[in-house]
Amino acid sequence: MGEKIKITINGKELLATPGKTILQVAEENGIEIPHYCYHPGLPVAGNCRMCLVEVEGARKLQTACSTKISDGMVVRTNTPQVRETVKQVLEFLLINHPLDCPVCDQAGECGLQDYYMVYGQYDPKFIENKNKKSKKATPIGKYVMLDQERCILCARCVRFTRFITKTEELGIFNRGDHSELDVYPGKELNNRYTGNLVDICPVGALTCRDFRFQCRVWYLEEFDSICPGCSRGCNIKIYYNPHRPHKAEGKRVLRFKPRPNLKVNRYWMCDDGRYGYKFIDENRIMYPLLKENGKQSEIYYDEALKKFADYLKENIPDRVIYLLSANSTNEELYVTKKFFVENYELENIFLPAEDIFTGDKDDLLITEDKHPNTNGVKAIFNILYKDFIKLDELREMIERKSISLLIVNRHELLDEVLEYVRENNVKLVYLGTNFNKTAKVADLVIPISVFAEKEGSFINVDKLFQMFTSRLEPLGVSVPEWVLFNNLSEILEYPLSYSSYKTVLKQMISEVVGFKNIDLNNFDKYGEMVEL
Amino acid sequence: MSIEISENLRKKIEEIKNKFPTGKSPILPLLHAFQDELGYISLEVEEEIANIVGVSPVYVREVSTFYSMFNNQPVGKYHIQVCGNITCWLRGYDEIVEYIKKKLGIDIGETTSDGKFTLSRVECLGMCDHAPVMQINGDFYGDLTFEKIDEILDSLE
Repeated sequence: MGEKIKITINGKELLATPGKTILQVAEENGIEIPHYCYHPGLPVAGNCRMCLVEVEGARKLQTACSTKISDGMVVRTNTPQVRETVKQVLEFLLINHPLDCPVCDQAGECGLQDYYMVYGQYDPKFIENKNKKSKKATPIGKYVMLDQERCILCARCVRFTRFITKTEELGIFNRGDHSELDVYPGKELNNRYTGNLVDICPVGALTCRDFRFQCRVWYLEEFDSICPGCSRGCNIKIYYNPHRPHKAEGKRVLRFKPRPNLKVNRYWMCDDGRYGYKFIDENRIMYPLLKENGKQSEIYYDEALKKFADYLKENIPDRVIYLLSANSTNEELYVTKKFFVENYELENIFLPAEDIFTGDKDDLLITEDKHPNTNGVKAIFNILYKDFIKLDELREMIERKSISLLIVNRHELLDEVLEYVRENNVKLVYLGTNFNKTAKVADLVIPISVFAEKEGSFINVDKLFQMFTSRLEPLGVSVPEWVLFNNLSEILEYPLSYSSYKTVLKQMISEVVGFKNIDLNNFDKYGEMVEL
Repeated sequence: MSIEISENLRKKIEEIKNKFPTGKSPILPLLHAFQDELGYISLEVEEEIANIVGVSPVYVREVSTFYSMFNNQPVGKYHIQVCGNITCWLRGYDEIVEYIKKKLGIDIGETTSDGKFTLSRVECLGMCDHAPVMQINGDFYGDLTFEKIDEILDSLE
């Protein structure tokens, strides 16, 4: 990165890379400079004027977001002059801002509220009437609601549509106190990243139609995770509501937001992933089901495991097929391999490729493979894309190999396969998180927990190994797959004896060839590259 | 919906394009050229200019709505623009504009039903020494009084 230069901020001497701005260097060193229009993922605009700082030698205050550092620069962010100026800037920004915090969905995570605590006038001097804007609570897209009067014209959203999605739906029209943010007349937001507009809006001008009024943000808790929507593996935060479940009809997870990772998703995530969170709480398989006389009914978990074990014992491995899921975590896949390949000696273990190459993709984040861990399957089972099978070849394979037990992990089988299975008395076991057509006709259904309910890791499309945590309990009696197979191995009397997630993880890292570069004691939180 | 571009306008567009071969600079002169020809800047005009310059319609609209000299709606035959900035305001803008409103029976931003007059309030017209001032189409009128307004408006066909 070359030579570092010296810069002093608030009396603290710092070494920084030339070319950076005062604001960037301050942020890196934990010195807070207030700002609205600056966003690390967007071009600098310098229009909110909140980041004014004193630079020795400059006659006037400078905007920290647009002033590049130079050697020996002396900056002060906390002088009386700076504080007084920022107070007045904030008062200007609030001239036409309504005082509707009690009904504003941004309350609690609002830039205006936050900075008013520090830079508020508390005795404002403006006595003029507020200028009313035309659009209040107006939908401007599938997921975004616009309240013009709350807008402070920072233009982050305009720059997002101009430079990130390049769709340019938004602009600031008119002039001076009549300026208003709006979509082009007759148009609405037409891109697949609109949720980010809500994230980057520092005030309540753009709010999320999906999340609005579901829960006050201070009741939410959060944890870091990885979006399972496609093979990009965007880093996310999962927001859930542990305190007032009755407010959301028992739904725990209320929103996803992106977490910055410059190696993967930068600051953004797509709408498909963001609003795909609903499967965590909806239509879940909570308890095992056993089909008897053509009708499924709930059974105890131990019974279900025993039944599963019986099926495995009754059928010879040559006549069993296991369909892997690219939604499983690496640790789950690893234990699946231990159980089925090394102990049960199953050869017919496949990853259906049906939808891996057929999804839509774009140049920003969305990939065609709508599974988070296809590369995990490749790494752990040591298989190539050409080894994947197609779901429409399955019926023929079942017939050719006289299969008598079909175990499906999460996939939706074609009708012709379901029909064949029923007519030929092939036992169908479904392991999954959510109900689908296949689950509803299976002979045995065993619930597994979703990604948000377990620790694990995925390998994304760029071969980046990323770990995620959880703070949610599995619904019903569902467990991670590695627990399921661990328990099953005990019944079948070749116990795998994993005592915890960590033991699986450690053994996997040391055994899988592609993972040899991973050092768990020194793991990069932004992911580690692996070999496939 | 596309707009019809006359031979004259087409020539002007070419001239402007040659004058500013790159960048976004042609937007302002193009807006003037289209407004001179068509009377106002419609959404179709914005789209047309966006195509010519190679930017988005949003970008053109940000410019065209910023300047009060561009009309984003059709205006009457005579566009009365009264200055409402500080000098004119101190010298009687409020009374002047009330008088015109009453005389024509329209509010600011409206057009008379016969399509003859449109009334707007604009920012400084640069003639503070003759405040209060108004502009009708290309012409400026200063030192306004009620009598003078009667005289000017009555003389317009």
